[in-house]
Amino acid sequence: MTTTEIAYLAVLLLLVVVAVATVLMRSVFAAVISLSLFSVLTAVVFALLQAVDVALAEAVIGAGLSTAFFMSAVATTRGK
Amino acid sequence: MGERPGQVIIAIVLLFVGVTLIQAVFGMDLDPLRSDGIAAYYLDNAMSDTAAVNAVAAVLLDYRAFDPFGEATVIFGSVVVVSMLATGGTLRSSGYGMSILVGRSIGFLTPFFWLFPIYVILNGHLSPGGGFQGGVSISVLVIVLSVAFGSEYTANRLSLERLGFAESAAALGFILVGLVGVLQGATFLANAAAGVPVGHPGELISAGIVAVLNIVIGCKVAAGLASIFFYMSKEGGEVR
Repeated sequence: MTTTEIAYLAVLLLLVVVAVATVLMRSVFAAVISLSLFSVLTAVVFALLQAVDVALAEAVIGAGLSTAFFMSAVATTRGK
Repeated sequence: MGERPGQVIIAIVLLFVGVTLIQAVFGMDLDPLRSDGIAAYYLDNAMSDTAAVNAVAAVLLDYRAFDPFGEATVIFGSVVVVSMLATGGTLRSSGYGMSILVGRSIGFLTPFFWLFPIYVILNGHLSPGGGFQGGVSISVLVIVLSVAFGSEYTANRLSLERLGFAESAAALGFILVGLVGVLQGATFLANAAAGVPVGHPGELISAGIVAVLNIVIGCKVAAGLASIFFYMSKEGGEVR
């Protein structure tokens, strides 16, 4: 295996770990942050597969925009 | 396990979807670059047909330009639905934003934050990225400003009416760019086939409607997603 393949497999493994962690988190805020980490790792996978356009979209939407939307949704519905 | 019957049903549905997805992945055509495929045609001819160095942008905004048109309509529809659901209410003042240190730092860094989306949008036909990625970056910038300075402060300077106007104008611009092709006797959203000058590959002003559509989509996505964020951060409104 080349170095790139090892790095690729490591990121894929981490992706599964982060996905399971997102589901098992007790705090909603921790789950949102963990989901944002999942998006960053997905963007790394896309970049390793040389799909830079998709990686850019995933990083910006998944890690930036949807985290902000989730945060505002959590802040709006908390305590109701 | 099996505490509620709903959980069992959800588990069965998820299992079914998972099996279907795995079957679909293994049934995929894993040789997309074979010489008679359409991907090979795009890779060979994208630069000569559209003068766009970024083959993804050439496919998205020239060969398959109707597809981003549908995506833009989806964003428009979601903005309309969110604004219908979140009527009334006032913007949460969120205190007065963060401390003065954060405020000054963000104020100093904002021009540099603008550089990335503008670069990505203007070079959409030359380098990875494009109108959608750049537009989302601009809307994230608006969110950063409203986190740092409070959403009331930001919304006073960037009213929802102005954002809605920008989005509608960009949607009309998309249609007008498409109609250029029809007026020239070609198809809707036609580029070089309609006689639009495409210039030379690699130059900033080239690729005909691809560069124009990147700017239009950037405006539309930025305005639409920023206004969705403002609607969602309202408080005390009637949620129907």
